[in-house]
Amino acid sequence: MIVFPKYLERSKNPIVRIFGIGNAGVNLVDRLALTHNPARELIAVNSDQQSLASSIVPAKIALGITTTRGLGAGGDPEVGLEAAQESFAEIEQALAGSDIVILCAGLGGGTGSGALSLISEAAKQNSCLLFVVVTTPFIFEGRRRATQARNALQDVADFADAVIHFKNDRITELSAPRAGVAETFAACDALMTNCIESLVGLLATQGPVAIGLPDLMSVLSGGNPDCLFAYASGQGGNRAHDAVEALLRGPLLDRGKLLDQASKLLLHISGPPNLTFAEISVVMQEIATQACDHTLLHLGITTLADTHAPITVILIGRSGSHVLLEQSAVRQRPIKPKAADEPRLIEVEPAESDPIVEAPIVQRLPKPIPTPSSIPSKIRQETLQFEPVARGRFEKIEPTMVEGEDLDIPTFQRRNLK
Amino acid sequence: MARDDIHVGLEIGTTKVCAVVAECREGGDIRLLGVGETPSRGVRKGEIVDFENASNCVREALSDAEEKSDVEIKSVWLAVTGSHIQSFNNRGSLTIPEENGEITDEEIQEVEIKAKEISLPKENAILHSIIQHYHVDGQQGVLNPMGMLGAKLDADFHIIHGVATRIQNAIRSVKEFQIEVEDVVVNSLASAQVVLDSHQKDAGALVIDVGGGVTDYIVYLDGVVQHSGVLAVGGDHINNDISIGLRIPLTRAERLKVEEGSALTGKTMPGEKIILKNDTGFSGKEVEREMLNLIIHTRLEEIFAIIRKRVLAELPEHLLGAGVFLTGGTSLMRGIREVAESVFSVPVQLAHAHSVSGPTSAFENPRLSTCIGVTRYAQAVRAEQPVESVLGGLYKKVRRKFRLPF
Repeated sequence: MIVFPKYLERSKNPIVRIFGIGNAGVNLVDRLALTHNPARELIAVNSDQQSLASSIVPAKIALGITTTRGLGAGGDPEVGLEAAQESFAEIEQALAGSDIVILCAGLGGGTGSGALSLISEAAKQNSCLLFVVVTTPFIFEGRRRATQARNALQDVADFADAVIHFKNDRITELSAPRAGVAETFAACDALMTNCIESLVGLLATQGPVAIGLPDLMSVLSGGNPDCLFAYASGQGGNRAHDAVEALLRGPLLDRGKLLDQASKLLLHISGPPNLTFAEISVVMQEIATQACDHTLLHLGITTLADTHAPITVILIGRSGSHVLLEQSAVRQRPIKPKAADEPRLIEVEPAESDPIVEAPIVQRLPKPIPTPSSIPSKIRQETLQFEPVARGRFEKIEPTMVEGEDLDIPTFQRRNLK
Repeated sequence: MARDDIHVGLEIGTTKVCAVVAECREGGDIRLLGVGETPSRGVRKGEIVDFENASNCVREALSDAEEKSDVEIKSVWLAVTGSHIQSFNNRGSLTIPEENGEITDEEIQEVEIKAKEISLPKENAILHSIIQHYHVDGQQGVLNPMGMLGAKLDADFHIIHGVATRIQNAIRSVKEFQIEVEDVVVNSLASAQVVLDSHQKDAGALVIDVGGGVTDYIVYLDGVVQHSGVLAVGGDHINNDISIGLRIPLTRAERLKVEEGSALTGKTMPGEKIILKNDTGFSGKEVEREMLNLIIHTRLEEIFAIIRKRVLAELPEHLLGAGVFLTGGTSLMRGIREVAESVFSVPVQLAHAHSVSGPTSAFENPRLSTCIGVTRYAQAVRAEQPVESVLGGLYKKVRRKFRLPF
């Protein structure tokens, strides 16, 4: 029987619920909770009471109070599944009435791997649109965990409309070799939250050229399991160039070379009301030169009410060739074997995101808006800087940043010696 | 003396491009045959920003060096720097199979490969991997484990890496003239070769090469490199600070710095003024001497404070037994030693290339330390093993064989 997601019946303001399952999932929803967005509800789901108690998300579901006695699944998916079965009523209650459900989990452990398939089944029966965002364990965590993760991934693929899959082993490529542990995990979390926010954001946006669910599904579903994801934003006079440069800088986009392999691309550009057509064409031209001729491109454009918003570019794409993606990896890491016939399983290769490109202090005059904007922008008096921050000779050169200080600005100025 | 023993060191600096032709003798002595120098254009912070201009400067410097030394230059050793160059220490660990408990060259090479197995940003390449110490079955500080018996071999390496394309740009500016680049050497490593002697390397020393665009630094202890780095701030920044602070043109600021500037504050008479001469249609102007010195002082003090902080993160200051050695063009600034001494709590001395013979004016000039150091490095590498190079690493990923404790 074909069940249409309820989302298709309601055009606006879908109810989006994001479930964080297991310790990794709870961490992720905690991080999402830090960026307040009323458009989605967050629910923490875990069998470990300690993790739930420390979570800042108000909605919590404790799995298997009698099965695990609140002590967690101990890395055993069987226990995780039992716990989820015990608390099935609560899960169904939380799912009721949602239009879009996003499940986040770290696979390989007990709760995430065990409960995920059951929850996704319940979500599907509830005819929600279901996205699953998961990480798979580091290679050094051992083969057992990798197998558990693979099994869970296969199970969930039967129910999910799209599975977005991050390999933890890729984290090391996102950060410098001497980055701290916290910094490294923060980089990965930031990438995943960006991805989730982008997904939610994409569906909620309206604009001159809207991205609809059909566009998203067209890119996310289909035969080939490889997917590209990149996110970047730019601000200041050169914002369009900055954003596209940051977007392509991702190690797995390989300076945009991998776009050439993409069969389908979804590109979403959002910006302040003074976003110009010329800026959009800058981004599009750069992407078009990198992509090959037969790439199917879905474009979405949104203008935001906030006049100070940066230009944000989100790129989701599906790669046409698996082999090439592997070859472009920094080192020949052992890549987890995948079942060839996994339906709609999407590997998201994280592209390095460079969130905010440093904005020049002196803002250029906003360019004329080609289309009449429906949102009147507030005109604000720019405050004149009394002592302009001067970089002089180093104006156009890569700044020397040490601990957040731009050393190109004279020391005496930074220390207010004058 | 065979011509093979002549090495050319080339530095594409922010203020000058210079080439040093040196004859290297077996005992380790270096005799300078000629120094070619030209003011640099198209280089900022030690990196090329205008390729055409920079390569023209390279040509001028090389032909100047050929003329002065009467040697035809076919290949050079290139000093590289830039803010992208980073370093870290990493340990490689190898378990030796029980049947043959003897450590051979194969194991030593393998342990180096293991030490280099570290996830670097994709665009980066390893420039140097310098052996610090070996450990055999937990026995510390083994200098050469070859032939020893053991079950486990560990090796600590100091690894210096940088963005491959940026280094290739410097190489290309030389290759334009059909001149080969034998290898690239990081500035700080090169300078230390001629600034420090082996006793100072053992006792613990910090070499700070304050150049035009960047400041390179390297720490030696127990005869091996412990830490190295680049801070993309140099004499050019002082010029810029003076230009902004006193509102005078940049070229004027540089001349003022060289002729009148000092890094010491509180030594001038109150209200003492310097009168800028009206030479280029620029109206005469008075600047306060104390202001000029204060600008220079704060900048230099900041450079030293940042380096001190970075070095202290790696090892305590009292281990720098031989103290701090200042070299590079900006070390000619009056009062720089006193500023450095006020930051570091160890003795500071100004240094230039030693154990070198030739025109005194050349090797006693701290501006040329790096360039002369490159030839010394070349000599040491050639003496050890006359083949593979970092360039091979950049282009062909060929494994590097020599393991000199520089």
